[in-house]
Amino acid sequence: MINVKKCVLAGVWFAAALVPCIAAAALGEPENSVQADGARLHASLKVTAHAQYQLHEMQLPSGTLVHEFVGTDGKVFAVAWSGPTMPNLRQTFGRYFDTYVSAVRGKAASHSQLQIRQDGLVVESGRHARAFAGRAYLPQSVPTGVDIGELR
Amino acid sequence: MLRILRTGAAAALAAALLSCGGGGGGGISTGVGTSPAASNVADVVVDSGPSNSSVNTLFTTVTVCVPGSTTNCQTIDHIQVDTASFGLRILASVLTLTLPVQKATDGNSLVECTVFADGYSWGPVELTDMQIAGESAASLPIQVIGDPRFTSVPSDCSDAGPTEEDTVATFGANGILGIGVFMQDCGQTCVNSANPQYYYSCTATACQATTVPLAGQVANPESFFAVDNNGAIIDLPSVAAQGAPSITGSLIFGIDTQSNNASGNEAVLTVDPNYGYLTALFNGQTLSQSFIDTGSNGNYFDDSNIPQCSESDLSTFYCPVNSQSLTATLQGANGMTAAVSFIAGNAQTMLADSTTFAVFPELAGTNPVSGSFDFGLPFYYGRRVATALELQTTSAGTGPYIAF
Repeated sequence: MINVKKCVLAGVWFAAALVPCIAAAALGEPENSVQADGARLHASLKVTAHAQYQLHEMQLPSGTLVHEFVGTDGKVFAVAWSGPTMPNLRQTFGRYFDTYVSAVRGKAASHSQLQIRQDGLVVESGRHARAFAGRAYLPQSVPTGVDIGELR
Repeated sequence: MLRILRTGAAAALAAALLSCGGGGGGGISTGVGTSPAASNVADVVVDSGPSNSSVNTLFTTVTVCVPGSTTNCQTIDHIQVDTASFGLRILASVLTLTLPVQKATDGNSLVECTVFADGYSWGPVELTDMQIAGESAASLPIQVIGDPRFTSVPSDCSDAGPTEEDTVATFGANGILGIGVFMQDCGQTCVNSANPQYYYSCTATACQATTVPLAGQVANPESFFAVDNNGAIIDLPSVAAQGAPSITGSLIFGIDTQSNNASGNEAVLTVDPNYGYLTALFNGQTLSQSFIDTGSNGNYFDDSNIPQCSESDLSTFYCPVNSQSLTATLQGANGMTAAVSFIAGNAQTMLADSTTFAVFPELAGTNPVSGSFDFGLPFYYGRRVATALELQTTSAGTGPYIAF
């Protein structure tokens, strides 16, 4: 089920036998549609299979971990991040970035935290000191039986 | 904008509560560099701020001078005091001085992208001689946000956040003074790699992320003081349950350096050296990404037993029928613990009942980050809280730590 291939990310070769390597995609997009995502984030990648999704883990040069959750339909339904920098949200949110930006306007938010809760998009983001943590998910695309708390 | 609450306008309510939209300006005076009386105590205030809409936001006043000058100076009020960030940032629109822009290692201008949860601020790193109370920080790298000489924001900065916050109205203050536990805003992360969302080397036409040595980074001014340079104490009065229009208190520099900043029998909780986190034990949960932060305007935690507000723009805040008395235990990286009692009130009714207030000790809401308890400014009401800088010693221990 894992689409094993060699890939080049940030100039580093990963042997397919050692690191199954699939570039994760943007929120709502098929996993194979944005081969460039990891590369644009200059991230290393690994993929682990769970019962109802595949978890793609990328590590940015800053050390930040980005998790993208891909459902059995092959589409990304959640992204989460944790570390010293935020990922490029336009890249990781894809077509939901504009929804996110317009949802924030005039909305409850502060320098330390932000929460967006819409039927089609949930964003939760926090910043403290040198740490960023947050996630975004598409409520209607989260596979049945997956605990929202797992999406970290 | 708080006054608008009386009309029940939802958007105004949210803006008044959490952000600081609205007018700019606010009592800026250009001084002649007369030093205040030698003292390690700066006045702080919690009020509605330069936008007349802030809630639970702590402000102080700083003086900045052109480096080397004692006369070419400016005193700026309503600088937010933030224990969860590091360094001084001033909105260019309130700055009347011209300060020298710093250079990146390649000789181009050094410009910074400061990313917050709700947006980003863009502006060059400049040098100033800063004074607060009787303390001085010479040749301090600061960020000047929204400098009209640097208006082209690189996309990998703006792609980090939803809103550009380069004006007093969008930023919510005339500036921010980050005096948390770390010495620089980025630290080793920006020495090791060129990260988008921190420092950029900019020519007239393009910017590229760059590494910056520690000495070139925007720095916590406490680490530049000649004395009283191992941390600070924030001392605020307690506030009646229904809140107050404003309160005043003290920001005392140094810990165990003067008779007014001696350690006593406080609980000393060390924080983790990378992110500044404590652990909170609450409702049977172990929340390892917890912190105490003057820059958060409420206590933010998840408790499914407390109803959230029905008002759509307040839906992430708590609205219990009766105020709830709660207890959490904070635990330091050193294993030390301290019980903390706090009250979660009804956000909708407290705001509606006291439309001219800016101080609300019972304001509480949900936390967007799992595993986190964010004790905001209400934690500080009625407390004396010390924040010790990383690697600095006091008679109570070695930073980074929080003591109260």
